[in-house]
Amino acid sequence: MNYYDHFVIPFVVGTAFMFAVIVWKWGRWLWKLPVADKKAIVRGVFSLDTLRAIREVVYESLLHRKIFRVNPVLGYMHMSLAFGWFLLIAVGWIEASVVLGTGTPLHAHVFFRYFDTAQHTGWNPFAFIMDLLLLMVLSGVALAWFKRMRSRALGMKRTTKHVFIDRVALTALWLIFPLRLVSESFAAAIKHNGGFLTGGLGSLIAATMDSAVIETLNSLAWWLYSFALASFFVAMPFSRYMHIFTEVPLIFLRRYRLHSTAREKSFDNFQIQACSRCGICIDPCQLQNVLNINNVQSVYFLRDRRYGKLDEKVADNCLMCGLCESRCPVGIELNTLRLNSRQKSIDTPALTRYDYLQGIDRSSGNGKVGYFAGCMTLLTPTVLRSMERIFEAAGEGVWWADRDGGSCCGRPLKLSGEVNAAERIMARNKELFAKHGITTLVTSCPICLKVFREDYNLEGIEVIHHTEYILRLVHAGRLSVEATGQEFTYHDPCELGRGSGIYEEPRELIRMAGRLVEPEHNRREALCCGSSLANLVIDDSQQSKIGSAVTSELEATGAATIVTACPLCKKALARDASVRVADISQVVAENLRVAS
Amino acid sequence: MPQFGFSISQPRAVNLDTNDFVPAEKLLRELPELQSCIACGSCTATCTAGNLTSFNFRKVHTLVRRGEYREAYEQMDKCMLCGKCRLVCPRGINTRAVVMKIKRELGDYQR
Repeated sequence: MNYYDHFVIPFVVGTAFMFAVIVWKWGRWLWKLPVADKKAIVRGVFSLDTLRAIREVVYESLLHRKIFRVNPVLGYMHMSLAFGWFLLIAVGWIEASVVLGTGTPLHAHVFFRYFDTAQHTGWNPFAFIMDLLLLMVLSGVALAWFKRMRSRALGMKRTTKHVFIDRVALTALWLIFPLRLVSESFAAAIKHNGGFLTGGLGSLIAATMDSAVIETLNSLAWWLYSFALASFFVAMPFSRYMHIFTEVPLIFLRRYRLHSTAREKSFDNFQIQACSRCGICIDPCQLQNVLNINNVQSVYFLRDRRYGKLDEKVADNCLMCGLCESRCPVGIELNTLRLNSRQKSIDTPALTRYDYLQGIDRSSGNGKVGYFAGCMTLLTPTVLRSMERIFEAAGEGVWWADRDGGSCCGRPLKLSGEVNAAERIMARNKELFAKHGITTLVTSCPICLKVFREDYNLEGIEVIHHTEYILRLVHAGRLSVEATGQEFTYHDPCELGRGSGIYEEPRELIRMAGRLVEPEHNRREALCCGSSLANLVIDDSQQSKIGSAVTSELEATGAATIVTACPLCKKALARDASVRVADISQVVAENLRVAS
Repeated sequence: MPQFGFSISQPRAVNLDTNDFVPAEKLLRELPELQSCIACGSCTATCTAGNLTSFNFRKVHTLVRRGEYREAYEQMDKCMLCGKCRLVCPRGINTRAVVMKIKRELGDYQR
């Protein structure tokens, strides 16, 4: 048989095994998808989304643009490995087809230099390109080694602690390319078919070693190379390297508008196994950098969940601030996955649960605009009073949903995983909103805002946060804010900023009242106040530790007032603040220009 | 007789010797801060569910500590987990974790 030597067997078996496992995994996940998701895929395949997905695959799975944004050296490391290896395969394939003709077996290009039959005289462009690519991949491997010793140089303070199977795959991966260099150099020593790198080393080998020794070592090197490839491919579907292939279908499915939901579904598997455990989520996590908790970050959460070892204490210990999600180079929906793993463990409400809410209506006032204070606003009466003044100054008729006590919005229950129970509360609130015929629902609490927008499906009712509402009043000329010349700094609440994408409205309002100085972490990079309702584990002292770290960063701006737009953040920041902490509504209400 | 909205509890006897304290002790081990509760009732005063019903978190805590889990569990279902109690607790007790623990651990005592 042509192009065959016994050493190709480990490689062929390993590759076949890997693809069989991957096809089995993907096939099962796709088969188990809900019908709506399957329909979305069918609709999406023949649309422009497919082309967009292909472009994204090139940018993210091969070039790794998002990792370049984290750190250029880290980006180069990943790109040289992924894109470099891809090109080695692609160019190797072309070379094998050109030289060996069509009908060459699939493994031939991998071991091409060994089987090469051409008589080489003069410069071979393929050998040059292949050597260049090999050098590129080797530089990536060298950087990966260097990263093990000094990760800070590549922009990472902490790296992931890997499990055994990851270490096996990692070791195999690191060996593949040096072994390829050695094997091809020995082949070049015999056949003189190398480029500048393997050819040069080949000449050196040929000059220093006996030809019989070269023959033996050549065969040994190719065996080792084949074994390294085989070990990597066998370990790959069970290790972090499953991400190499899984990120591709994930990108396509995401483009076809598949998302994870508050309840587990088969699509989650694509997200979980697309995690490369790069550990970029570790450094930004405040539980890590303030509290030194180092086993709950998204990378560990996904790992534990993937291997079926998820502990309640890990699933529940997360602020769900979304900082890691905004950094994740794969774009995994980390918060949603965290949420639906909580849902799985505890969501069994009694059928009569929250029936007591039926018929309870403590609302007052009349108007097309409804105001839902929310539990946390009721606990910070200054915010409520400021809103009262603002509504009065604008001459707005308001329906007060819960000024004299009312129900919760349901989001805290949802965040704790009790999605079914939360839906019972939501249904009651929806009835209440519909009964009073409001067209706009204003809330001061970003936690309520998010659930109203995402889960309530309030038809005919526009849900807005009070920052948006106040700004609208100002733009409409119904309210004007007096400039004070004071300095303010602004803390972005997670649920309002990263959660709902509201960054500029509060800033515009603050600039009307005075000067705005930004803290070090702002907008998408903003920190969590620590009191997040999503965390069910950390105790009071830990919450306050996170809070005071944030407060001192805000105080470092030198501003006289810390402004925020969430009653819960306000309470958390005020605990340790030496300057005034105020809600945006207070700032506006205190500086209203009296109409003359 | 005028009704002021107050009533007197029926007399009842609690035999602590017959109650099973193992779950209560487990709860205390996992959330030791519960030992620092001064029963001030701030949690109950601020409670969203307590504002609408007779739900009383301080009472639930007492029931659990006494080993009367069934009533505690039934009551616990009224909680909306909004977290106001945690913010007002002068001892900084993670009340939401207590609620979750009671729901998860004492579920067996439902009936």
